[in-house]
Amino acid sequence: MARIGVYVCHCGGNISEVIDVKEVAAFAGEKSDVVIAKDETHMCSDVGQQLILNDIKEHKLDKVVIAACSPQFQGATFMRTVESAGLSPYVMEMANIREQCSWPHFDFPKDATEKAKDLTDMAIAKARLDESLKKKMMPIGKRVLIVGGGIAGIQAALDLGDAGFKVYLVEKDPSIGGHMTQLSRTFPTEDCAACILSPKMADVPVNPNIELLTYSEVKNIEGFLGNYEVRIEKKPTYVDPAKCTCCDDCVDVCPAKVPNEYEEGLTTRKAIYLPNPIAVPHSYVIDVESCLGQVPLACTKCFDVCEPGAINYDQYAEEINITVDTIIMATGFEIFDATQKAVYGFGKYENVITAMDMERLIVHGAEGSPLRATGNRIAFIQCVGSRDEQVGNENCSRICCMYATKLSQLLKRSDPKRDIYVFYTDLRAYGKGFEEYYKRAQGDGVKFIRGRVAEVIENSKTKKLTLKVEDTLTRNIIESEFDLVVLSVGLRPNGGTDKVANMLRISKSPDGFLQEAHPKFKPVDTLTDGVFLAGTVQGPKDIPDTVAQASAASSRAIRLMNQGEFALDPIMAFVHEDLCDGCKLCVEHCPTDAITVSSGIASVNEALCKGCGSCLAACPKDALDLHVYTNDQVLAEIKSVLKSKKKEQSRFLVFADDMTAYRLSDNVGIAKMSYSIDSRIIRIPSCSRITPKLMLEALKAGADGILLGESEEKSSPFPDAISTINSNISKVKQILRKNEIEEERIRFVQFVTVMLGGFVNNMNGLGDYLKKVRPISDKKRKKLGIRN
Amino acid sequence: MEINKTRFIRKPLDWDKVKVPKGIVHIIEERCKGCGFCIEYCPKNVLEFSDKFNSKGYHPPYAKHEENCVNCGLCELICPDFAIWSEAEE
Repeated sequence: MARIGVYVCHCGGNISEVIDVKEVAAFAGEKSDVVIAKDETHMCSDVGQQLILNDIKEHKLDKVVIAACSPQFQGATFMRTVESAGLSPYVMEMANIREQCSWPHFDFPKDATEKAKDLTDMAIAKARLDESLKKKMMPIGKRVLIVGGGIAGIQAALDLGDAGFKVYLVEKDPSIGGHMTQLSRTFPTEDCAACILSPKMADVPVNPNIELLTYSEVKNIEGFLGNYEVRIEKKPTYVDPAKCTCCDDCVDVCPAKVPNEYEEGLTTRKAIYLPNPIAVPHSYVIDVESCLGQVPLACTKCFDVCEPGAINYDQYAEEINITVDTIIMATGFEIFDATQKAVYGFGKYENVITAMDMERLIVHGAEGSPLRATGNRIAFIQCVGSRDEQVGNENCSRICCMYATKLSQLLKRSDPKRDIYVFYTDLRAYGKGFEEYYKRAQGDGVKFIRGRVAEVIENSKTKKLTLKVEDTLTRNIIESEFDLVVLSVGLRPNGGTDKVANMLRISKSPDGFLQEAHPKFKPVDTLTDGVFLAGTVQGPKDIPDTVAQASAASSRAIRLMNQGEFALDPIMAFVHEDLCDGCKLCVEHCPTDAITVSSGIASVNEALCKGCGSCLAACPKDALDLHVYTNDQVLAEIKSVLKSKKKEQSRFLVFADDMTAYRLSDNVGIAKMSYSIDSRIIRIPSCSRITPKLMLEALKAGADGILLGESEEKSSPFPDAISTINSNISKVKQILRKNEIEEERIRFVQFVTVMLGGFVNNMNGLGDYLKKVRPISDKKRKKLGIRN
Repeated sequence: MEINKTRFIRKPLDWDKVKVPKGIVHIIEERCKGCGFCIEYCPKNVLEFSDKFNSKGYHPPYAKHEENCVNCGLCELICPDFAIWSEAEE
């Protein structure tokens, strides 16, 4: 007999404003084996945890159920709590009544309360059968991969390298430095950007712990915390950096010219070029896309003139395979493509430029070689590509107000005759020294006008630009002519981020930037163990915030790696020896060769087993089982969560794999997106664990449909999961066909963590379908069964 | 201009000022057997078959866009009959 304590959390209103928590607690108190059931404002607080500790002592509890948020968020906290009371951390179960109940179903408080009861009952049923397991300890080394060599990646690499960790810094461009290399000065202190950045860049290749891989891309990542296997492709530069003296002779003779990315296409570069004046590694590079051709060798002019003999056309792309323990994502941002905002005429009118163009113009102006005239009347248009639903970007890019303030001041001060206007939506000077800096710009004579520019029209003869805007403070319509219009373009997620994010199963927030694990307390963690975020990959931010986040990410990575080992849930297969007849079917099905059969009985090698559960479906005797999610436990969950179902009501179960589908359901809840309330989500390590027998049991117990949600094959931790699931489903469908039950009641979806809408559509799709086809009749249900 | 291949839609401000080598194409039409290698492989697409015939009955190439020639010398390297070469413009 178990002694269970149940705790229902209000989550400070997040739950209790929708769900009647007292009713849920009272319901739980009635259940057998439940000794005590309470509700509390904040279970995760010290008060809440102390409550559990006292009750464990006083009431001799041996199982704890907490109905609160997702186990992804506070699961670890409560595991620690029960552990500190001397119990196994695996006798604690959570009912996810926030992400899966109060948030997605906030419109239906009554039904949500009923669902919360079901979920709590399900957690009690599982807890009843919880085994007192120990954590599985795994070794961890000191190797870090940093993706992206902008200021975030550089800072993280230096912090980790200095702390004695082995760093692989991968940068897709031929030089590190990122967007910061392009800036003129930084706000609000007006430091020369290149001058403060270049010493940092130069520190990277000389640090003995940092291996710098420029012009390289991450092609594949597999594995987990402590063992990420990474494949990197290093592109050939065709120039040996050790020999290149940067004499420029090759550039003179090179016959291929293209716009210079570093100068935002304002100037021209050759196919052989120095990426930027402070490039690290400091070497010329041949851009093979624009080179006249290497196979066959079309030109060789650079080779002919290169005195040190640095050019080598026989370089090939190199594949580099490394194993790392943790990963920091620092892939940064892209500038909003201003041509998308057609009313401002960028790309069409020669005097409409972006703020990044202006950075470059100012740098050249300061160096005494201006690229073009700027004229005397200059207008800045703010929020181009930010806070703009028309272009699909609702977020504020945070830095534009201040960089416009900076650029306008630099322009004004270099020539006080200039008339400079900044047209803003709201001026956000939120940072340290920002408000003072803004005041200074006003003092210098820059005119800030509140109003969103409606249109920019070019006078085709004079090429001057007329702006139409309403000053929303004075209600005057302004129509004024300018020589130059500067668009303060926002920050967008870097297009290359998605590929790596998918490999690492990191989700995106609705603005397209990567999602942190917790907006307040885990701002640089992700929900994937051992993967951290640094800089603008997580959202727009300025340089000091980026640097702070990079240091935070490295310290979070050090926190994991410095211990030498980490704990893993003991989700592993085990054998009921009394049932095993040594048939070896499981051996064939194990993707990691973890099962061996000796003297007629199977045994599982715990170091090799990944806990996918493929062997469970293979065993004809039900002799194989999975710790933490045993057959009995999953069956008990299924039965309890369906208990409250009324006749004529339709209800379906969702088996959600921990890695993707369950996280996705949490993200949908966080986004307050609603979906079919007929669903009941059951968390499992992988759907391959759901044997045909369990599916049929679910249908027999009252489920009208089943949705299996699993990670996409390429991001799945379990190599054979998809084929196991497909074969399990086809077995079940065969039986359904025989019993004249619609096959579409069973669905299988492969998810990626970014597809919030896809999750909702699939849930509603099945929910609506089941409403249409009506619940399965009792007569048919009874006949369902499986013969092995 | 190959700007369209990049993410930039504007012509760089110094585009016309940045010099690239220029070549003059010489063709010995009588040697040509019309294999078309030079036309096929010219990285700047300078050459094209002419309408006229040489005495062997082949169409020799002609420099349709000679202004694009950068004197890379690939045509000279690739011609099986030593019928074409380029020379730097002085």
